[in-house]
Amino acid sequence: MNLEPVARPKSAEPWKKTTANARNLQIIASLVPSGVAAAAWLLGGMDLIVSILFVLLPLQLLAIGLVGLILKGKRGVPDAALVVMTFFFGTFVMVLLLSVLWSVVEAGFSALSPQFIFQNNVYVTPTTGLEIGGVGHAIIGTLLVVGLTTLITVPLGVATGVYLTETRGKSRGLIRVLLQAIAGLPSVVAGLFVYSMLIVTGVSAFAGWLGSMALVPLMLPTVARVTEESLRLVPQELRNGALGLGAPSWRAFLMVTLPAAKSGVVTAILLGVARVIGETAPLITTTFAAANTSFNILEGGLATMPTYIYNYISLGFDTSISRAWGAALVLLILVGVLFGSARYISRPKSLTPKKKKVKR
Amino acid sequence: MAQTPTDAPERRTLRVKPTTIEDKLFFGISTAAAYSSVVLLILILVFLGIRALPTFEEQGIIEFVFGSGWVAIEEPPTFSIGPMLWGSVLVAFIGVGLAVPMAISLAYFIEFMAPKRLARAATLLVDLLAAIPSVIIGLWGLTVFSPVGAHWGQMLHNALGFIPIFDNTAENFLRTPFIAGFVVAVMIVPIIASVTREIFSRIDDDLIKASVALGANRESTFRKVILPVSASGIVGGVLLGLGRALGETVAIFFVLNLIYDDVNWFNILEPEGGAIASLILAKFGEASETEISALLAAGVVLFILTLFINTIASFIVAKAQPWNNR
Repeated sequence: MNLEPVARPKSAEPWKKTTANARNLQIIASLVPSGVAAAAWLLGGMDLIVSILFVLLPLQLLAIGLVGLILKGKRGVPDAALVVMTFFFGTFVMVLLLSVLWSVVEAGFSALSPQFIFQNNVYVTPTTGLEIGGVGHAIIGTLLVVGLTTLITVPLGVATGVYLTETRGKSRGLIRVLLQAIAGLPSVVAGLFVYSMLIVTGVSAFAGWLGSMALVPLMLPTVARVTEESLRLVPQELRNGALGLGAPSWRAFLMVTLPAAKSGVVTAILLGVARVIGETAPLITTTFAAANTSFNILEGGLATMPTYIYNYISLGFDTSISRAWGAALVLLILVGVLFGSARYISRPKSLTPKKKKVKR
Repeated sequence: MAQTPTDAPERRTLRVKPTTIEDKLFFGISTAAAYSSVVLLILILVFLGIRALPTFEEQGIIEFVFGSGWVAIEEPPTFSIGPMLWGSVLVAFIGVGLAVPMAISLAYFIEFMAPKRLARAATLLVDLLAAIPSVIIGLWGLTVFSPVGAHWGQMLHNALGFIPIFDNTAENFLRTPFIAGFVVAVMIVPIIASVTREIFSRIDDDLIKASVALGANRESTFRKVILPVSASGIVGGVLLGLGRALGETVAIFFVLNLIYDDVNWFNILEPEGGAIASLILAKFGEASETEISALLAAGVVLFILTLFINTIASFIVAKAQPWNNR
């Protein structure tokens, strides 16, 4: 039997401070490859993505791997590869995602003006300049359609959340699975569903409220699940205390559990609204886009923000595309405001100073 | 032996059912609301099914799902979604294939590498981006990304054109499955990344500390501890993203050229592709009654496909997050 002590790997000495030399080596190894890649791109006339993929990435892997080998021995190499790949993929996808945000903000701002927000589309042709016409009617339409959806969905969704947490119902698992399944319902199928149920059968022509109906199955799972999660965070002792004092279940819920979970329920509603406010396909199959301002959700055409964007992209003229960008910015701001307020309301509140999290 | 006293009070039964009217109402309402989702799902399936039935009967289910061709003006019309079905799957898989490494890297970076302040900002950004409407992603894909993606596709073709996958005979690299896959990836990366980050953040800190204490480095901790612990959660998140990608309508519609009578098996740089949801959107505007029925049938197929994937996903996620199933 070999009782020789195993040599301690170099990396297993975390108490050792990084020396100045090691740090310099790391800095050099991180900077040189990007310098070479930049030179290949700017001076060598290489394509940007090619120089990143075939110059920067291999060189970076090699350099950081070498530094790892020198500083930590053999085990430093896969470590270095992990760090480089994480940085590479993370940066790449962040650039793509920020490009989406940036192009909306940049192209949207050039279309944005007071009349773009307040006017409607009555005298606008696809090539009309941006001086007249706007998305006012579409904002109103979106607020009406999404508002009606919220009115229908919130009681249903919150009550479903209550069923999942407050009752001992037998089919809670089934309902949870079904909610997940509905959450994956393709939005265009939701639109087709309302179309086949209410329009083909002749109950109604294209109208705003049908759009609201189509959005209900898309919003319901979000509201129900987030409500469920927030109700679950209410300590069981609160409920038991209320019940122990003799309150019937409904009073215990309305006066103790619900107030305790208020911010979570509000968050659920806001996230649900943010989920459906940008849905396009269900509205295309159920509402009829109009150019004029309309408050009538029960019949006739009603323009909404997503269908407005969709129509103006489809037209394909330069001015119509810039109108679409402007509308996209307005829609993004709406989503952002909803999302921000959801975050603000559900932020962790504590009267005592937070426990310090142990750093990894 | 103890004698049971004869004057003992009668044994009481413990009642757990609601007794008062108000309580019955309270539990009744919540139960009814919960069952509304069952009703909703059944309604969706029934109505779509009834409307789609004529198409399934006329075309034959096998022929409708796997055949190719979409001709509405002939008598009798031909409706088959084979190319669309395969196209949906192809685009979704390209999207997921691109999105998974990026999303996991992003989540790992946010959770384990970034300084706290940056991590918080990035979390907020990722969660916000998960809520961006897909029509905006479509607009970005059409006007900003398509030229760039076409350029990348062309370079890929020039360098690797001898491999059949990267073959292109059209001299046009716009509106290809490659670009559509990228756009879908951008759409689902925030979704997968936010699920993965959530799973990572719930990993027991002691596990990671134990791993480090045993002398593991970053890489072996990731490979041997973090990944196995969170694997099923990540798979669930990926399947959710896959469901999103399969059901995506508008974004794909703008950046993909739909070809109805020929299946584009794997030539991802050819400007030919398909997607069921985009087919519905493309044909819905001026469809006759029989064609509407065929579109609804296509919707049924798509719904069943996504239902299948989402059910698997929810089961996996439920298994992976025991803290959610109290």
